[in-house]
Amino acid sequence: MGSYIIRRVLAGVITMILITLAVFILLRLGGGNPVEYMLPPEATQADIDKLTAAYGFDKSIWTQLGIYYKGLFQGDLGYALQWDHRPVVEVVWDRMPATLQLTAAAMVVAVVLGVAMGAVSAARPDSMLDRVGKVLAITGQSMPVFWVGLLLIVLFTVKLGWLDSAGGFARLGPKAIVMPAASLAFFLIASHMRIVRSTMLEVLESDYIKMIRAKGLPSRMVIWKHAFKNASIPVFTLFFVNFAALVGGAVVTETIFSWPGVGHLLVSALIARDYPVTQGVIFFVAAIIVFVNIFVDVMYAWLDPRIRLS
Amino acid sequence: MEAREIAVAISYPAPSVLDRTIASLRATRNALRGAPKLSVFFIFICIIIAVLPVSWITPYNSIEIRPANLLSAPELSGHILGTDNQGRDILSRLIHGGQSSVRVAVAAVILAALLGTTVALVAGVFRGWVDRLLMQITDAFLSLPYLMVALTVVTLLGPSIVNLIIVIGFLRWMGFARVLRGEVLRLMEMDFVRLANVAGSSRPRIMLRHVFPNIINTLLVLATLEVGLAVIVEASLSFLGLGVQRPIPSWGNMLRDAQQFLFFPGAWWFPLIPGIAITFLVMSCNLTGDWLRDRTDPTRRQL
Repeated sequence: MGSYIIRRVLAGVITMILITLAVFILLRLGGGNPVEYMLPPEATQADIDKLTAAYGFDKSIWTQLGIYYKGLFQGDLGYALQWDHRPVVEVVWDRMPATLQLTAAAMVVAVVLGVAMGAVSAARPDSMLDRVGKVLAITGQSMPVFWVGLLLIVLFTVKLGWLDSAGGFARLGPKAIVMPAASLAFFLIASHMRIVRSTMLEVLESDYIKMIRAKGLPSRMVIWKHAFKNASIPVFTLFFVNFAALVGGAVVTETIFSWPGVGHLLVSALIARDYPVTQGVIFFVAAIIVFVNIFVDVMYAWLDPRIRLS
Repeated sequence: MEAREIAVAISYPAPSVLDRTIASLRATRNALRGAPKLSVFFIFICIIIAVLPVSWITPYNSIEIRPANLLSAPELSGHILGTDNQGRDILSRLIHGGQSSVRVAVAAVILAALLGTTVALVAGVFRGWVDRLLMQITDAFLSLPYLMVALTVVTLLGPSIVNLIIVIGFLRWMGFARVLRGEVLRLMEMDFVRLANVAGSSRPRIMLRHVFPNIINTLLVLATLEVGLAVIVEASLSFLGLGVQRPIPSWGNMLRDAQQFLFFPGAWWFPLIPGIAITFLVMSCNLTGDWLRDRTDPTRRQL
């Protein structure tokens, strides 16, 4: 088990090095000099040169890369070009809680509803509930999340006037999270529902369930106590994979609802050509994804010895 | 009797055009048994829209601005789906926009499929360190927050249709690589491939002649499902102003135009219509992909 964890962590570190390298080269080769976007158009060439040198953008790409990696291993991602020139780590870290709140809220709704609907439809395949659930799942997976967000705004803000659409937590309090979380959850319910339903159906076909049934255990106990427990492993995996995907995938939703998370930060950083912050956001989100993947793999290996031995 | 006479005596009349048409219709019906017919039909329409020149298929000019006719409501005679904030017929823009969206999505998926299939074939056939290296790279790409990276790359390269295709293609090949590599590894263990190996076929030959034809089914299923996703990615980027650029419409940038009019009381149809089109196409791709998978490999049936 120990060696398996070490192997997975090493692979994760290599992945992170590859990602940071790719993003660094992309930004340095494709970006031009970001300092020119920082200063007003009437700035003199001498000022531009001075600031360029201060940020180290005048050095060769390899020197810059060396400085970048040296900083990275010391937990230093450089300084932002905007945002009062604060350290990038701080700028990104300030926005992370908002994204995590939104992601967590969406995931809780999606998992509770998805698992409940999946289990109910597996208990009674081809019933009315099963069919309604199927239609909902297929629709949810086909609608672009940002469009669902727009429709929610039209319905709840414009027509009914119940919820404000922009401003985030600071201005609106807990009510602000309802619409962005709901639009993300609507997309996520489908995948949870599908996986719960198919694994439940598989488990319900197995010999030990047939045996419990034959012993005369009531159907409700069979489904919720025995089958559900065994169907929960894939749900667990899907939960974490979706969670990680959502941290980076909520960009458009955050933009529509002016949610002050990392996605919104990335869009602002790109508009301002603030490459250190851009790099920082992608680094942190990729790190979360890599970490979650390792965590899921290790959990899986712990639950199923066949994986770690292969 | 001579052979020739016998042959003439028992020869059948050549099937008429009508017979042949009926036979091919029957074959089509058999091939489509159990298919989500509405979805297949919708995909068919989208393909036609993507291929034909815009002016042939749009009732009005889809780009020219008509200030006299802003945001008029849908009516049966004239603008069936109403007009947008610049007085353009929404149906015409929907068709033109569908052309952009479908072209981008299909081209991006073809690029992704090419990359992914190549990686899968090379990794699966050569194995060893080649396989480990390629899978490490695939893992790295899978750990990228792809929407964020897509935004970044498009901002740097400048938004255009070609850049959009390249970005989506380069960020969505990993699914093909992962799944197809599994297939390739499975096929490599089968007798006919081993036989080809023993008979002295080179590895590129095994790759192309023996393995590739056997993964085409899976490839098609994946590609169908992936087109749906690519449509959503295109729409997301265009919605943020980083995809297809005005005045050329796409379903995503139509929603971008509509966003400014969410609070405009009479314009409910404006944000609704492009979204419905996207949803229909994505749903059609998902349903058709699922159906193709069930047809080619019933053991993996879902839901």
